[in-house]
Amino acid sequence: MTALPPKSDVKLGLVIDLDTCVGCHACVVSCKGWNTENYGAPLSDQDAYGENPSGTFLNRVHSYEVQPEQGAAQTIHFPKSCLHCEDAPCVTVCPTGASYKRAEDGIVLVNEDACIGCGLCAWACPYGARELDQAAGVMKKCTLCVDRIYNENLPEEDREPACVRTCPAGARHFGDLGDAESDVSKLVQERGGMDLMPELGTKPVNKYLPPRPKDQGNEIDILAPLLAPIATETSGFLGWLDRTLEKI
Amino acid sequence: MNPLPVWSNSTDKDYPIHALTQRPMAMYHSWGTQNAWLRQIHGVNPLYVPTKIWEQNDFKDGDWAKVSSPHGEITVPVAHQAALNENTIWTWNAIGKRKGAWALDEKAPEATKGFLLNHIIHELMPAKGDGMRWANSDPITGQAAWFDLKVAIEKVEAPAECEPNIPAQKSPVGKGPKNLTWKVGA
Repeated sequence: MTALPPKSDVKLGLVIDLDTCVGCHACVVSCKGWNTENYGAPLSDQDAYGENPSGTFLNRVHSYEVQPEQGAAQTIHFPKSCLHCEDAPCVTVCPTGASYKRAEDGIVLVNEDACIGCGLCAWACPYGARELDQAAGVMKKCTLCVDRIYNENLPEEDREPACVRTCPAGARHFGDLGDAESDVSKLVQERGGMDLMPELGTKPVNKYLPPRPKDQGNEIDILAPLLAPIATETSGFLGWLDRTLEKI
Repeated sequence: MNPLPVWSNSTDKDYPIHALTQRPMAMYHSWGTQNAWLRQIHGVNPLYVPTKIWEQNDFKDGDWAKVSSPHGEITVPVAHQAALNENTIWTWNAIGKRKGAWALDEKAPEATKGFLLNHIIHELMPAKGDGMRWANSDPITGQAAWFDLKVAIEKVEAPAECEPNIPAQKSPVGKGPKNLTWKVGA
């Protein structure tokens, strides 16, 4: 079994905003695009153009519908990837030392040369965040784009995880959650960021920002009065244009 | 002709339900080359039905429905969506494929369980009596303006595949590899 490192002050991770995520899967696609071509074995696809396609993804979006007792039903899109837990059960269960947590920044990685593909870590992870690649036979997981965030060959603005870089809704944030003064820590503080299933004691580093309260579905839009016609009879050039176009 | 988009509500009592489509957001990111990934995200598209219509038709999970418009009919799988206007049904556009299209296997879910609303939308506007038929599309952009489609829906016994079930088209290109391990460089 594998030991966790001494507690790290730096805790790199993601903050994911469930209020603004629209479920577009841009993060899913950009994650697969970056990670199939870089760190470790490619993320393979089986029966890629066939009847039952499946493949390895490090990040997936699940969409749920919430039906509260009162008020309108809501759709919630929930992006899910490794949470880089402080007490990562996927690390301590690993029989070969392949699954490890970095002391310097807390990122949980897999050394694919030492991975025997036994799958114990995927069983141990309560979040379903690991996937055994069917072609390479090794465990794949979010690396927090470790090959981007320190990569001085990339422009500075690209030195963040691919999913964060691509999110068109600005719903994903990357930073040091061990630093109470970091932007991500402040965001978690302001918005009441949550741990996923904290009762399991895994102490996830990634945080989720809950959806803000929604309207109840019975309000009329404040812009509605502006939709009333303001001129019933048109004159001048626009009137002529209107009449001419009506004849076509 | 009105150069600005106009919308009018059909009041035909036989077709009381609005039917919409939208292209899946995921399809916008990489429409061309990464189909093997996107089809894992959206490989089938049920017809999403609001609670009122779901209960009126006594639909259950796994049921299928016949959807008809003045122009035609389709038979498709349905799914309940509570967060939906009670008079509107919708589905993802651009997932359903004719068999053989995109060089996919003929049993691909896009061809058996995926579908399009195109079969119940006429490409021409109704005759105006002037001998001309106008395209059922936006006069400026040419975009198909389909937000005026109204339909009727009824529960039917599930067919093996979506209907109409059109014979396979011949692919101009060969089939892709069975499995993919895409990696650039060493």
